[in-house]
Amino acid sequence: MGAKHPELLPGTLDLLILKSLVRGSMHGYGIAQHLKTVSDEVLQVGESSLYPALQRLLLNGWVAAEWGASDNNRRARYYTLTPSGRKQLQRERAEFERMIGAIQKALA
Amino acid sequence: MKILRRIRYLLRQRKIEAELAEEIEHHRQMSAKHSSDAGPTMGNVTRAREDARSVWIWPWLQSVWQDLAYAIRNLRRSPGFTAVALLTLGTAIGLNTSFFTVFNAMALRPWPVKDPAQMVKVFSMDTRRPNASGGGIGVVEYRYFAEHARSFSGFAVAFGQSVRFGFEPFGKSSQAVLVGGDHFRVLGIEMHLGRGFLPEENRVDAPEPVAVLSYTYWRDHFGSDPAVIGKQVSVNDVPFTIVGVTPEDFTGTADGGGREDVYLPLPSLPLLQPGASWTRDVLTSPGQCCLPASGRLAAGISRAQAAAELEVLDRQFRSQFRLEGGRVFQLTGSALMADPNRKSKGTPIVALLFVGVALVVLLACANVGNLLTARAGARQKEIQIRRAIGAGRARIIRQLMTESLLLAVGAVAVGLPIAYRLPLFVINQTGDDLSLRLTPDGTVLAYAIALAVFACFGFGLAPALHGTRQGSRSRLPLRSLLLTVQVALSVILLIGAGLALQGVARLRQQDPGFAVDGVSVVSFELPASDYDAAHAADFGKRLTQGLEGGQPFALTGREPLSISRWLADFRLPGQPEGGTRGVLWQEVTARYFDVLRIPVVAGRNFASGDDATGAILVNQMLARQYWKNDSPVGKTAICVGGRTREIVGVVRDAYVENLDQVEPTIYIAFRGTTIPKVLIAPAAAQSVAAIASRIEPRARTQALPLQANVDRWFRTARIGAEIAGMLGVFALILATVGMSGVFAYVVQQRTKEIGIRIALGARPEQVVRLVLASSSRAVIAGLGIGVPLALLAARLMRDVLYGVNPLDPVAYLSVACILAVAGIAASYAPARRATRVDPLQALRHD
Repeated sequence: MGAKHPELLPGTLDLLILKSLVRGSMHGYGIAQHLKTVSDEVLQVGESSLYPALQRLLLNGWVAAEWGASDNNRRARYYTLTPSGRKQLQRERAEFERMIGAIQKALA
Repeated sequence: MKILRRIRYLLRQRKIEAELAEEIEHHRQMSAKHSSDAGPTMGNVTRAREDARSVWIWPWLQSVWQDLAYAIRNLRRSPGFTAVALLTLGTAIGLNTSFFTVFNAMALRPWPVKDPAQMVKVFSMDTRRPNASGGGIGVVEYRYFAEHARSFSGFAVAFGQSVRFGFEPFGKSSQAVLVGGDHFRVLGIEMHLGRGFLPEENRVDAPEPVAVLSYTYWRDHFGSDPAVIGKQVSVNDVPFTIVGVTPEDFTGTADGGGREDVYLPLPSLPLLQPGASWTRDVLTSPGQCCLPASGRLAAGISRAQAAAELEVLDRQFRSQFRLEGGRVFQLTGSALMADPNRKSKGTPIVALLFVGVALVVLLACANVGNLLTARAGARQKEIQIRRAIGAGRARIIRQLMTESLLLAVGAVAVGLPIAYRLPLFVINQTGDDLSLRLTPDGTVLAYAIALAVFACFGFGLAPALHGTRQGSRSRLPLRSLLLTVQVALSVILLIGAGLALQGVARLRQQDPGFAVDGVSVVSFELPASDYDAAHAADFGKRLTQGLEGGQPFALTGREPLSISRWLADFRLPGQPEGGTRGVLWQEVTARYFDVLRIPVVAGRNFASGDDATGAILVNQMLARQYWKNDSPVGKTAICVGGRTREIVGVVRDAYVENLDQVEPTIYIAFRGTTIPKVLIAPAAAQSVAAIASRIEPRARTQALPLQANVDRWFRTARIGAEIAGMLGVFALILATVGMSGVFAYVVQQRTKEIGIRIALGARPEQVVRLVLASSSRAVIAGLGIGVPLALLAARLMRDVLYGVNPLDPVAYLSVACILAVAGIAASYAPARRATRVDPLQALRHD
């Protein structure tokens, strides 16, 4: 609470979501929790950025959504990576690594 | 794919948004539960929803709007181009949609009745004659079905008769429809005024003279007088009481929009023709067949179930009245296209016309495409700049296609009024009595829009792709390709039009096998109530006596090429009944063959006494079909009333029934049981009228040249040819505009070069040749493609229009001349401009 949340590089959120879904389908909250856990609580993604991003991915056909029961037997929407989403992940990942490499060179 | 997902979103927006809200709510609750402190974005639920929602629609809508605004600005900046494109495309879409409007009204629309989906036409097929086309049902059987059938909530039969109203001078020119008692209830028609028929008006033993007027007849002949109910009108000189007027939107159930003026109860048929015994037979004889029939299916009953029930009922009916044979039934929708008899006959003509109007649209597309290509050339710089500042090729294509779509939508706006007016205008010109609902409906609108979308891609896509391609400018410019297509299409349309017009001209000149010139047809109208068979025979006899000694004349039941056809069952004595075929028959006096100059080629002509013995003459066609090379003279056949008749002579084939082909025909000696028509020289027609009025002062007489029947026969073909001609002229205009545009473009592009050439001393004709040569290859290629395709089309046309000769030299030569003239006209202005290029100015240019 009150902690500053680091600004993500533009487009990185999509990449992170796609990457999270490689392990299997997840609901929105699950994705946010997963990102929080694996990043040692650095990446805290709120609803206001997570859901627009998920809708964007749906629109582009990179993820598919399906309703299912969550752990506590509530209705939750599960997102799955589609084959074109998998390809997109590879593309974005390559692009991201190129960028990071470039930034690191610039900072070195 | 993305667009499909967007559309799916738009269609199911409410549900998807509710799901999104639920999902975010779930997220919020989970995070509240799992962390002691509130989540980082608590309170932003609404914004999260808004943002997530806007992903789908907003940016897209914004870009569409941008494209549209840009397209509108662009089109407004070049009003000349926009006007030509809209006119060209709008007229083409208008012509095409006009045709579809008529087709839709005549063939696709079901009847204008309540719940038309529940109305089915009933076709019966005789199991003994599996190949015969389906007919309806007889009146007695109709009553039986109406009483017993459970799968129908009602049956309707309709029997058309020409009648004369008291105020009409001559000719049975009004169309009466004799209908079953609960006709209007079955169709679900609410009367505009008065009532429909009552059950007691449907009794054969006690006919009631009551009439229901159609709305248009009431409007045109009774001045929309609301007090008309209860008044009496004279129909065939019998007073009928008007009990009702149908509503305006009920245009009748006749095939192809035939006019219906007045409805009478079926039992009143003998009142109209008291002398004719067949009217009683139609109503009371169980074996009589067939009236067009339809029925309203009961709720939840399928057509197959209903047809099965009718088959059972038909078997019961047949055993009850000891009738032979059996029937199977086919139930179809009420639209004309659903009619199994029509489908096969109508399709080639409709298909051919469809091809014609489709070619017109293609031609217009090629034309506009060419204009767009020229524009794209001029816009090259703009497109390059836009690409340079980061617009993707797809984005620019989308932008250009938006412009095309806008043009197409505008063209529909131009075309729909044409489609609304033109069919009505053409039908009025033809003088056909049709009551079609030609108001464009949803189907027509959908068709026009589909056409526009097709046209948009047809003319827009190639130039857009071409214009946005970078680098390598192909050596085969799109413009030449489009010009080739234009020339080819207009060649096909022009040759088609030329062949159709020539074909009709040839048909009219063709020898019909009988004398047309110098023969008049005199018809009489006598008070029907006083003329039974005996009176009619007496009239005929006294008429014959009065005419003897004057000009040669003949009496006949039906004049050549009359509207009606009489069919008689015909079989040879040895043949089983299943071998019975319908052949045409005429009832004529011996002089018929002299007056019409049809020679008797074997045996003899009728002689006195032949009307009693029942001797017949046959035409060569029938003789060939039944006796091959043997002479039929002296043989017998069973025909006309099931009588065994001797064939005494054979007459040469003549097109007396039908100008397309000669059909097997038999002639029986004139018996005089019906009121005759007289064939005689025009000069003598006056004296026939005088004699008739001496015999019967109330007689009305009308004399018309036989040529009038020939003209009527050709009317449909002539109108078809005229429509083809109209399409041809439109094609020519489009091709001329297209060519002239290309020439003008060439001159504009090569102004500098032309200037240099003139400065170096080129003569005007050399400059003109330069301009013409630039496009000549495209024109020649167009001719090379168009002519073989036109030949192919002509082969198809021959099957529809009998007079067409696919290799008609006149048609080809005139088309060549017309195209040459059009080419000169198209190149004249640009070539003139080219020769007047001022070298100095041209070189100072840019």
